[in-house]
This record gives sequence, C-alpha cells and structure tokens, in this order.
Amino acid sequence: MSTVDPMDAPGFDEGATQGAPPKRGFFSRFRHEPLLPEAGAGGAPLTAVIAVMSFLAVLSMAAVLIINQSAGRWTAELRSEITVQVKGATAAEIAAGASAAMRVLRETPGVEEATLKSEAEAAALLEPWLGKNNAVAFLTIPALIEVKVSPTLRDDLDLLRNRLAAAAPGATLDDHATWHDRLATAAQSGQALAFLVFVLVMGAACAISIFAARAGLAANHDIVSVLHLVGATDEFIASEVQRRFFVLGLRGAMTGLIAAFAALGGAAAMLNAGVGRDSFLPQFSMGGWHALWLFSVPLATCLVTAVTARLTVLKTLRRQY
Amino acid sequence: MTVKTQIFRFEDAGLAYGDAAETLSDVNIDLGEGEFRFLTGPSGAGKTSLLKMIYLAMRPTRGKFFLFGEDAANAPREALPPLRRRIGVVFQEFRLLDHLTAFDNVALPMKVAGVNLNQYREDVSELLNWVGLGHRMDAKPATLSGGEQQRVALARALVSKPDLILADEPTGNVDPAMSERIMKLFVELNKLGAAVIVATHDLHLVQSLGKPVLRIADGRVSRAPGAGGGGGR
Repeated sequence: MSTVDPMDAPGFDEGATQGAPPKRGFFSRFRHEPLLPEAGAGGAPLTAVIAVMSFLAVLSMAAVLIINQSAGRWTAELRSEITVQVKGATAAEIAAGASAAMRVLRETPGVEEATLKSEAEAAALLEPWLGKNNAVAFLTIPALIEVKVSPTLRDDLDLLRNRLAAAAPGATLDDHATWHDRLATAAQSGQALAFLVFVLVMGAACAISIFAARAGLAANHDIVSVLHLVGATDEFIASEVQRRFFVLGLRGAMTGLIAAFAALGGAAAMLNAGVGRDSFLPQFSMGGWHALWLFSVPLATCLVTAVTARLTVLKTLRRQY
Repeated sequence: MTVKTQIFRFEDAGLAYGDAAETLSDVNIDLGEGEFRFLTGPSGAGKTSLLKMIYLAMRPTRGKFFLFGEDAANAPREALPPLRRRIGVVFQEFRLLDHLTAFDNVALPMKVAGVNLNQYREDVSELLNWVGLGHRMDAKPATLSGGEQQRVALARALVSKPDLILADEPTGNVDPAMSERIMKLFVELNKLGAAVIVATHDLHLVQSLGKPVLRIADGRVSRAPGAGGGGGR
C-alpha cells in the first residue's frame, strides 16, 4: 500500500465550515450500522412470517412435551396396576375365591397394595351398560381386586398368575398390557406427528429465508456491487445479511413465542378446569426443563433463519457476481 | 536508475459482453507506479469498460491482465478483494449508498476492510473537511447537491490511500471551476505517488494539464499522438 495521503494535496475546504466527526454515543461502539438497508431483507413482512413460524414451532414443541409427559404418567400408572378378577357360579364361590386370591396376594413379595372391590362398587362399573341395580339383580358379578405392584413383580407376573390359578380356580389376572401398548403407540404417534410439524415449520422457515435472502440481494444489487468494488469479501456481505436476518428473526421469533405462551396459557386454563371433572384428561403443567425447551425454539428459529440466509447469499454471490 | 513497480499490464486482452462482438479488442497497455494517464474517446467507445476491467468489476474475456503483480484475469474470487482495496474509484454516477450518511459512505472502504471505527473516525472526518463537506457529515446523499455527492465519492475513493486512483468522468457534474480544481487535485495526488487514470471527454482539460493520453476508438486503445510517456504499445 502506498503512503499517499490525500490531505497533503490542497483541499476544497476554503471558506467551508469545518465539522467534527458525527457525535455517536457510548453505546454506538457496540452498535453495528447496517450496510444493507432495512427494507432490503424483507423487513416487516419477514418478521411477521417468522413470528407465525415461531408460534407454530413453539406449539408443536409444546405438543411433543405434553404428549410425552401425559403418556409417561398414564403408562406408568397402567404399569403399576393389575386387576385380579374372580369368577364363580355362586356368590359364595366367588367370595371364597376372592379371599383365597387376597391371601395369595398378601403373601406375594412385590405386591404393594391389594384392594377388594365391594359388590356395590363392582356393580357400579356395569351401570353405564346395564342400568342401575340390574347388574346385581340378574348377574353373578365377579369379584374385582385392584393390585399395586412393584416394577420387579410387574416384569414377571407368571408366578403370581400360577399361584392365583392354583388357590382360586376362577381367578384371572389382567396386566392391562393391551391398554398399555395401545396407549404407548398412540403417544408415540402423537409425538412423531407433532415433531414432524415442528420439522416442517423449521423447513418452511428455511425456505422463507432462502426466498427473502435472494429477493434482498436482487433488490440491493447496486449496493452489493459497490460493496464488492470497495473490497468487501463474499463472507463480509454474507455476514451483513446474516446479522440482519438474525435481528429480524429474533424479533419475529420472540413475538411468536409470546403469542404461543398466551395460547398455551389459555389452553392450560381450560384443560385444567376440565381435569377436576374427568381425571382421564392430561394435567397441563410445565416444569423448568419444558420452559427451556420452549425458549430454545425461537432461538433455533432465528438461528436457522440467519444461517440459511448466510449460506444462500454465499451461494448466490458465487453464482451471480 | 529507479525501476518503477508496475501497477497493471494488459496483454492482448479483449472484453465482450455475452455473445456480442468484443467491446474492447487487443488491449496492450500498462501503467507504472506514480504514472498519470488521461483516457479519452467518444461516448460508448469503451472507456468505462476498460476502467471496469482495471477495478475488477469485469475480467477480460481473453488475453492477460496483471494487477499489482497478480494474474488478475485468472485469480480466484477470494484473491480479488485485497486487490480492489488498493484501488480508489470515483464512479461516473458516484454510486453512493443512499441509506448511509456522507460519513458512512466515505468510511465504507475502511469498514469492509475490517478497520475499527476508532482508527478511521478522525481520518474520515478530516477527509470530509478537506473536500469542504465537514458540515454535511450526517447528510444523506439525497440531500446533497451533485457537486457535493461528487466530493463524497472522491473522499470515499481516497480514504484508504490507494495505490491506483481511477476516475470516470469526474468533472461531468460540476462547474468549470470545480472541474479544474478536481483535475488539479488528481495531479497533486499523482505527485504524491499515486498512479492515476482519469477518463474524460473534456479535451480542454486534458490539453491544459499536458499529461499522457490513452485514446479509445472502435474498441482499441492507443496512445494519443503527441502525448508524452503513454503506456499504449
């Protein structure tokens, strides 16, 4: 580089007002003056679209977490409980079988709790299908024993099944395996679907970034050209675009997060109000880890947006300029 | 005897836009350190095209082009920005960035070179004072007159203290008095060591300064008759 200092030559300043460097505050040293204009990267429309994407992404991630939490609790409850049913030709036979089964259960290690349902309680379970008092009047209702078992015993119920069959020939053991498997499958399907939605939303965010970055470059063709001619590298220009998209993305993503939290809060209020009436509905609550996951979604959205824009710009510059 | 460093050299270079016939053909010129050339020719003759090749906006479609000792015709993209930073260009249409202030426009070459604001802040301010725009540092180009925009463009071209200064019709938008001052400035900068090429069709100015002249006609570059020390071969 030469040492030519233009100010050694006579200037144009005679008679003109001398000026000081523009006043810039303390924080300006940390602020980056954008070399690409605001409107160049899509501006407000892009922010709005990213807000919608972020909203959907947070909701889909919340669905994954809620399904995971609920399915875990449901399957855990199902796995810890078994039901022993004692049938017989007469009430006396059923009562004898039930007391023999209770004796076996009390003597079996791993049985944490065994509760024999009364005839009235068992009949109440049939009321929705047979009507009030009809079950007791016309049927010999089997005895039902609800049993809570340890995980070790739950893994191997064959011995208990055999001992029950030997002590009470009318006794059968239901380990709820069918329900458990169906519930687990349904939960996994729900989670997979929600995750697929999340991935699709992220994919859409990528596609939007590519489109917006290309449109921004085309709209700012002259500016990009000048930047090149004064010595800017492709990486410098891509960094400018990336920074711009990150800021737009962050703005949009945080808006989407706030909207999603509001929607989740409303849904939680409605759902939790229903839990009191029907305990089968999932309890809607979120812990610290869940919040962390949800907060990571907008961050991921704006990172995806910014990195995609950078890669698009680099590729486009190498092809077009 | 002092051997001058070569700034650039074209060897049998040609430039064509797409599939069209060559705009410039058989270009064989060179420029040494500290040399000055006027570039003249009728409108559309190819003055701007030749300058574009020199400041690496385009590369020759045939032949060789060496810039600051590098094979610029075949250099990879990554090698071009450092070469461009050694050239200061005053574009015919200024090409200022409308959304930036005069200060930020002048500072642009420093920013893209990664220089810290604290290092160039005073230089840019002094340069704007030097071109008589110290009071318009925060003005956007749209609020500046044509002559003021010209001077901002001039300051931007000079801020990085380039080895080569290219000016494309730098007097096209200013009055005769300012034209003369700008031309004298280029001569002074040349005396200070910078190589200079000024494209102009103002023959009166060319003759008044008595500097070597390259003439473009029919897509061919030649040394103008009677001009001393030209680089055309």
